[in-house]
Order: sequence, then C-alpha cells, then structure tokens
Amino acid sequence: MTTVRENLKVTPKYREISHLLRRAGFGATPGEMDRYIEMDYSEVVDELLNAPGTSTMPDDVIFRMFPEYHASLGVDACANWAYRMVSTDSPLEEKITLFWHGIFATGNDKLNNPLVLLNQIDTFRRNGMGRFDDILLDLSRDPAMLIWLDNQTNHKDSINENYGREILELFSMGVGNYTEDDIKECARAFTGWSVKNAEYMALMGQKDSIWPYSRISWHYEYRQNDHDDTEKTFLGEKGKFDGEDIIEIICRQESTARFISRHLYNFFVEDEVQVPSWQDVPPKNPKAIGILTDAYFEHGHDLKKVLKVLFESDFFKESEYKKVKGPAEMVINVLRLSGGFEEPTLSMIQAVEEAGYMGQLLFYPPSVEGWHTGQEWITSGSVLDRVNFSSARLTDLSSPGIRDILNRIGNRCGTNAKPEYVIQNFLELMGIIEISDATFDLLMEVCDAKDSTVDTTAVSFDVTASNILRVIGASKEFHLV
Amino acid sequence: MKTKYLKTIGIKTNQPVGRGFLFPYDVTFDSSGMIYALNRGRISQGLGTRIQIFDYDEEWYGEFGEGRGTGPLNFLIPVATAFNSKDELFVTDEGSGEVKVFNQKGLPLYQVGGGSGPWSCDLKGPSGIAFDSNDNLYITERSASRLTKIDGDGNVIFRVGEPGDGELQFNMPWGVVTDGKGYVYVADWRNDRIQKLDPDGNFVTSFGQSGNSEGQFNRPSSVAVDSQGNMYVTDWGNERVQVLNSEGRFLHVVEGQATLSKWAEQWLEVNQDEYSARRSSNLSILDLPAHLQTPYQVGSQTEHLFWGPVSAKIDACDRLFITEHSRARIQVFDISGNSD
Repeated sequence: MTTVRENLKVTPKYREISHLLRRAGFGATPGEMDRYIEMDYSEVVDELLNAPGTSTMPDDVIFRMFPEYHASLGVDACANWAYRMVSTDSPLEEKITLFWHGIFATGNDKLNNPLVLLNQIDTFRRNGMGRFDDILLDLSRDPAMLIWLDNQTNHKDSINENYGREILELFSMGVGNYTEDDIKECARAFTGWSVKNAEYMALMGQKDSIWPYSRISWHYEYRQNDHDDTEKTFLGEKGKFDGEDIIEIICRQESTARFISRHLYNFFVEDEVQVPSWQDVPPKNPKAIGILTDAYFEHGHDLKKVLKVLFESDFFKESEYKKVKGPAEMVINVLRLSGGFEEPTLSMIQAVEEAGYMGQLLFYPPSVEGWHTGQEWITSGSVLDRVNFSSARLTDLSSPGIRDILNRIGNRCGTNAKPEYVIQNFLELMGIIEISDATFDLLMEVCDAKDSTVDTTAVSFDVTASNILRVIGASKEFHLV
Repeated sequence: MKTKYLKTIGIKTNQPVGRGFLFPYDVTFDSSGMIYALNRGRISQGLGTRIQIFDYDEEWYGEFGEGRGTGPLNFLIPVATAFNSKDELFVTDEGSGEVKVFNQKGLPLYQVGGGSGPWSCDLKGPSGIAFDSNDNLYITERSASRLTKIDGDGNVIFRVGEPGDGELQFNMPWGVVTDGKGYVYVADWRNDRIQKLDPDGNFVTSFGQSGNSEGQFNRPSSVAVDSQGNMYVTDWGNERVQVLNSEGRFLHVVEGQATLSKWAEQWLEVNQDEYSARRSSNLSILDLPAHLQTPYQVGSQTEHLFWGPVSAKIDACDRLFITEHSRARIQVFDISGNSD
C-alpha cells in the first residue's frame, strides 16, 4: 500500500490556489504563484474567468520568422495554439478551448486545412465561456465542423444525418435522450447550412490539394434554396424549425444540462468513465452534477457562471489529484515551468508532436468522439514518452524557468539546509502538494546528503538539482493533477 | 498615377526540388534580368529551402541550395537577397547570423559575418539587404535593431541604430533599399514606419505610423523605390501594398489581383476535377462574417488579394514584383505610369 505525505511547506491557501491553477490553467510558475497568493481564492477565480485574452508572444513575431505556424501542415499550425497556451496570461481561456476541442473534436486528417481549424479554436477561445446556446450556434456555423461532418451534403431533398446525429449524441444531449426520428428532423433543420464554394473546398480537402496558390480558408454560407423550411417534429415540439430553433430547444433540455455538467466535471474535477459509457454508468458524484445542472438553468445556460459555481464548490476544492494530466496539458505545464519561449522557436512544433506520441496530437482526434481520457492516457509507451519529455525539459538547467526555481531554492535554503526542507521546497515550486513515501525516499536518496545538510548555493548543487528534477518529472504525482 | 497589374508567377509546391514555391520571401534580378527567388521552404523540416532561377515568362532555369543546415549551400532562416554589380548574389540568414554569397550558378563564394578579415563583421539576425550604386552593402539586423553599411571590400563603414522608437532607433527592422541618390529606406517593422537615412547614416525623415488608414502601416516588411522616388511598401500586416510619393504622401493602395500563372494553368489542365470545381466557384469573396473581416482573414479567403505580401522589388523594366509568402506566388505590376 502506498502511503502519502503532505508537503508541510504548503499553507491551505497556497494549496487551494495551486490546485485551482492546475485545473483552470496549466499549473502556475513560482512567479505566478507569488502574485496569486496575494489574492483571495475567489479573486483568483474571478480573474481567471474574466481576464482579457492577451498573449506574451505576438502572432506577428511568430509569423515573421516561421510562417508555417499559421499556414502549413496541421501540426505546425497547432503549434501556434500551443504558443498561446504556453505564453498566455489568461490560462482558463486556453483551457476551456482545449475542453471544447476535446468534445467538438474536429480532425485535420479529413479537412486538410489547418487554418480553418485554427479559426475554430479561435471561436472556442472567443465564446467558450459564453451561453451554451451561442456556443452550439457558432459550432453549427463553423466551416471546419460543417465539412468534418459532411453537412455540405445535407440537402433538402436528400438529407445527410451526420451532423444532426452528432449534435445530439456527442455535442449536447447524449445517447438515450432522443429518437432516430429526432435525428432526421434535426438534420432537416440544418439543410442549407454550408460553406462558401463547398464543393471545391471539400474536394481540395479530400485531395489534400495545396494548388495552385495554397489552401483557401473557409467561411459559413446559408443556402436558402437548399433549406427545408417545412414543418418538423423535434423532441415533441412542432414547427417550421431552422437550425437556430433546434439549438434553442436542445439547450433547454434537462439532459443537455446534465450532459454538459458531466463533461465539465470530467474535465475540471474528476476523471469519469469514457463518454460512450455515460448512458449506463451513473456519475461518480451525482450531487455535484445536480449542482452544476441547477446552475446551468439558474444562470440562463451561461457557462462562465456555471464554472464559477464549479470552481468555488467544495467538491472541486476536494478533488486534488483525482485526474490524470492529459498529454497536451502535461506538455504545456512543463513548458510553462521551464520557460524559454520569449523568442519564436521551432521547438514548439516538436513539443506538439511529443504530446502526439503521448496519445494526444491536437487537431488530430482519433474520431468524432474525441480522445478517451483519464487512465486511458497512461500506457506503457506513453509513460516512457512522458518521463523522457519531462526529464529532458526539467533538467535543462539553462532554461529560464528552471533557473528561477534553482535561484529560489538557493535563496530559501541557503548553504546549510536539511534535505527534507530542500525537497519540500522543490515540490512546492513544482506545484506538488502530496507525494508518496516511496517517491519521497527516492528524492532523499538523490539529494545525496551524506553529511545531513545541503549547500544549495554551490555550483555542484546543479547536479543534485538535476537529479531531483528528473525524479519529480518521472514521479506519479507529477502526472496527476 | 497607376500601378497596373501585369501577371502572376508561381505555384505552390511541397517538393524539395523543382519549380513552385513554399514560403517564398524575396526575389532579385541579375544583370541579365533573370529572376532569383528565395524559397524559404518549411523550415521545421528543412524542406525546400533553396534559390530558384526563372525568367519573366516563367521559363525555369534551375535552382541551388541544399535545405536547412549550416553548410555552404544550406540556410537556417533565410530572409532576403540582392545582387551586387558583379552579379554576386547575397542571401541573408537570420538564423545563422551570416550573409552567404554565391555566383549566378549557385557556387558558394564567401560569406559576410563570422570568421576574420574582410566581411567578418558580427551580424545579429541579418534580415534585409540592399546595394547602392557604388556597391556599398546595407544590412538590417533584426536582433540588434540596427543598420550596417559595408563597402565593396567588406569593411564596415558605419553601424547605426539601437532598439527604440525614436530617430535612428529601430524595432526589429526588416527590408532596406537605396534610391538613385543614395538615400536609404528601412522598413522599421515593429515601429510601423519607414525611416529614411542619408548615405552617411544620418536620419532624414520617417513615414507612417501604426494603423490601417492611408499612409499608416501594420508591420511594413519591405520598401521599393522607383526612379521618381515613389515608395512601394509591403504593408504586411494589412495585407496590402501602399504607394507613397517621394515626400511620403499617400498615393494609392494595391490590394492584389492575381490570376492564374502559366505554371498554375498547366497544373490545373492535368487536374480537371479541381479545375472544373474551381470554375464553378467564386473565389473573389468579400461577404465574410464580422469576425473574419480582418486583413489576414480576408487574404486567406480571397485568392486574388495579397496574403503575406513580404517583399517589393523593382526590375530594370519598371516592373514591381510583390512576393507573397502565404500564397506562394509573385504578382507583377507595371509602374511606368507612376510619376508626380
């Protein structure tokens, strides 16, 4: 049995805020924690929910040096998003974008047009904490989604049910809450929702054509002549419904509120079973889902307010380390800790690829269902990739973020520190609150304090520090959130 | 005043050899009028980084360069090109901190930056490059925010500039050009202006400020000057070219009006399914949703307009060549009608 010890260096307030920043962001650097710890927990929540979206790495500088970040292959363009995740001072904005990318999973392997996926990501960034009705409406007009689910072939005299099915099954209500007839009626309502030059654009995507002058980006087009404006019966209601009416009906369903609440719980609070099992397996915390569902209706489907309820709840505060870090989350966490992205670099492309080796190549979900999460992130192969990646980055003592951690250790611990104290400080600065006895013992071993104290200001301490960071990066605790 | 569209040259390619472009960044012309295009390629994979040679009629003559690397024929982040009067081709490389020099056939001759002796001055992110009529070389340095002038024997004549937004201060300068009187024009990229210097490196004046109105710029990357002193500025972030007179007064905007190049026509002829779908499409779309009405998005959605206009160069026949890195092509304009 694994016994766990708390990091005695950490105050309850530090613990709560640190947890919040791991879940609502990608973990805080020591410098960020210096600022946040001066605030009340609720002030931090409000800032995360309302911080304006600014990024410390401007797009123009990235594009000047590496234009492929916006207009080349999917992985390159995706690295543009990764730059934002690493450098943003509005981490929740990017985290909620990652949340929606996992649910409204759209793949470049079919679209072959990364810029339209970047535009979709931007839509999630812009409206991802808005009213769910607006999010679904944006999604239904998103050209990447329309081509991904073939809605350009959904005609009034020959419907294609693909989007009509998925908006109900995967994007809003979940299996078991509608009928096959509802799917057909839903599809009819979305006839005519298409993309400008859809035939040519879909053909270019299908052939992965870059000719003659690079890919052309897409935008939504409503084709009135191809829209079925006759009466429909949907979820027991009758009318000449358009897509907008369908979304309005969907969003006031109890099942929608519960489905979205469970997604929020799964992403921000605690790993649930995989989505296809939700029909059969009840939520881990039905009471929490009830609280979020009530908040959804009480606040008019406004997800920002639902998130506020979530982050301030006891069930959230008590959920430390109940989740496995997703690969993208893990990579961004490590990159934010290590720093070094003040100048554009191609290594962001490699970092995105690393997340892919760990099982989550952004822009390339395995299917329309998105990625399976939680413990399914962990395989024998992905663990090796995780450990190799985190070790390589965290033990690069020349990177500014790691250098900052070592300077802080030196300032705090000085020339004559007990090894336990040194380790506790490392763990705090790395955002780890609890650690197993086995890992702690290993850290003590690598601390190599034969004479019982450590001089953390000595040049030779770099070797010890490197070993400590390597063990922390490889520890189970570092891969939980 | 007019800038008259003539033709489009190029086609996109993802191949490491052969005609076609992948992120072209600049063109220049040798004494015979042959066009040399700097194809940056996909740097992350070292794919297709090379110099390509062709003429105005799109006849293809060859290429040189061996992709990403530090060898004599490799590049890291190549940015701009220029010929001196001896038909030696200079290629700046922000990544390696060097300017490599080749003959017309691509044989490496020597390099500027690094080493010792003549041509050995330290360069920090060499970006734009130009010669004056006396074969003096001007190089902008992105990382140092300065302009360096070197004589034809490789000796540094002066270095001016430091980071900032005052006179003779730069913020990541990019393109540079000289006019017939020896004045120097620097695209002061992140200060959204063009600075004009005299041949001794003294500040003369500056044109433009941040914005998207007439005479305002959003990250100007390059400037060309015609025989009348008119300036053609690639207003990179606004996806347009602005034409100013010699005093800096706004004359007109060029937005691009690309047509199919010879290479593009030939490609479509053998890909009839795409040609057919293309003919039934309207690629000159201007009715975009509100959130897509930015210059960048408009450029990405409308094929004939500029998207990534990065370099402006004028050849001996008064033709303006605008290189677009994101559309992988060059739009050519007749500027002989532009006079005060």
